[in-house]
Amino acid sequence: MAEKKVVIDVGDGAALPRKQDQGLFNAWWIALIGALGIIAYLCISRPDPYWRVLKFLPDGIVVTFQVTILSILLALVLGLFTGLGRISKNRVINLIASTYVEVVRGIPLLVQLFYIYFALGQVFANLPDSNALFIFLKNMPPLVAAVIAMGICYGAYMGEVFRAGIQSIDHGQTEAARSLGFNRAQTMFYVILPQAWRTILPPVGNEFIALLKDSSLVSILAVSDILRRGREFASVTFNYFETYTMVALVYLVITLLLSKIVSTMEERLNYYERR
Amino acid sequence: MLKRFLLTGLLLAAMTSTAWAQRTITFASDCTWPPMEMISEDRECVGFGPDLVNAMAKAGGFEAVIQNTAWDGIFAGLAAGRYNAISSSVSITEERKNAMDFSDPYFEVKQGVVVQASSEIKSEADLAGKTLGAQIGTTGYFAAMRIAGNNAKSYDEVGLAITDLANGRLDAVIADDAVAADYALTHPEFSKNLTLAFLIEPDEPEYLGFAVKKGDTETLELINSALAAVKASGEYDQIFKKWFGGE
Repeated sequence: MAEKKVVIDVGDGAALPRKQDQGLFNAWWIALIGALGIIAYLCISRPDPYWRVLKFLPDGIVVTFQVTILSILLALVLGLFTGLGRISKNRVINLIASTYVEVVRGIPLLVQLFYIYFALGQVFANLPDSNALFIFLKNMPPLVAAVIAMGICYGAYMGEVFRAGIQSIDHGQTEAARSLGFNRAQTMFYVILPQAWRTILPPVGNEFIALLKDSSLVSILAVSDILRRGREFASVTFNYFETYTMVALVYLVITLLLSKIVSTMEERLNYYERR
Repeated sequence: MLKRFLLTGLLLAAMTSTAWAQRTITFASDCTWPPMEMISEDRECVGFGPDLVNAMAKAGGFEAVIQNTAWDGIFAGLAAGRYNAISSSVSITEERKNAMDFSDPYFEVKQGVVVQASSEIKSEADLAGKTLGAQIGTTGYFAAMRIAGNNAKSYDEVGLAITDLANGRLDAVIADDAVAADYALTHPEFSKNLTLAFLIEPDEPEYLGFAVKKGDTETLELINSALAAVKASGEYDQIFKKWFGGE
């Protein structure tokens, strides 16, 4: 079949919020400069313990990033398929996706973490060393368990976001695409999703930030993320207040960077305002 | 008649107010450290520590309230004045003495190493390069860090570390010997696979003490005199026998 370029007028689309204020005096810059300023002030005025805590945290920052990014990727994939499944006309697929959302959304993340790591671990421990998968499951590193649990949990939330975003696109778009000869999958991936993405992105960005902060829960699996590193520091030095202050500021700075990435992506996709 | 009522009322009020005037000491305890302190099926904090505290309250003439508290943050809560003392198998260490005051020691502990029954770990030298687990902020964790460095993993509760050991993800768990023995030898689930391999010989003896807020000498004196009374009356030995057998 010959390649055909098809230009589609996507109409006015959903109403979008106006661009954030530009320049130094918007909320984002105030928060970032404020947080960095407080960190710098504390480290200079009282290097012991503030600077010592900060030097102790970088390993944890790396781990938090690993957990967050891998979980986000897994959650996005699961969320996309769940969202598509929830609007599928195939009743079996629809039922599977809906059950997944209802079950996972109803169980706290902390309990899921416990379950996947400790409870399933007890099952895995009894597996024979007969194949590579069994050996991997037996020795599943806590980081992997954490990513799986968080990805599954957030996949359910994101599934709902995807579903709502897809359903927000006018049905006329589907009809137009189908009458141009697109099949169902092509309609979804070339017409509906590119438009839905604009509606989906703000709530997905919200989920990213929530996920980053919830990644602190993985510290119960003895994963040395930022919170765990902080607690390890505090457990030896007894500087609890100072440690948690520093941990809070570090989380704030990372969250701000993530929210900037999301808002930049939003602006890029916001082609109507740009025009 | 009215007068009599009033007088009785006054008398009653006076009696209850003296009862109220009796000093109450609130002890924080992380009741996840069997057999030192644990939650019974009646949801009460029981164990060697609570028994000792209650005996001390009787001997010292104060009222003791044991407040179950998570280990993580137990010292921060003391500093913040949420309770008067900690009775949670806290080992007396030099670092901790900088942050809080300790009573006279009430128990000697050694660090016990729990391993899988099939494990080849027989001495401290065998622990080099192994992955060790312990509860965060405990002397067991400090020992694990000293021996294994970055291979030491900290858990919120010792039970989680033991579970990870039973699941084969750790090579050993280090904890107070009484606790280690309890998990390894008497716990129905774990005693099948786990064993208390050996005790780490300390450079100097390690003791448990009751911690109070730095400078709170009034509470400290009450605790110390009560502890001395309980030891002198022989009640301490009875409690010890109750929880640790006839040693």
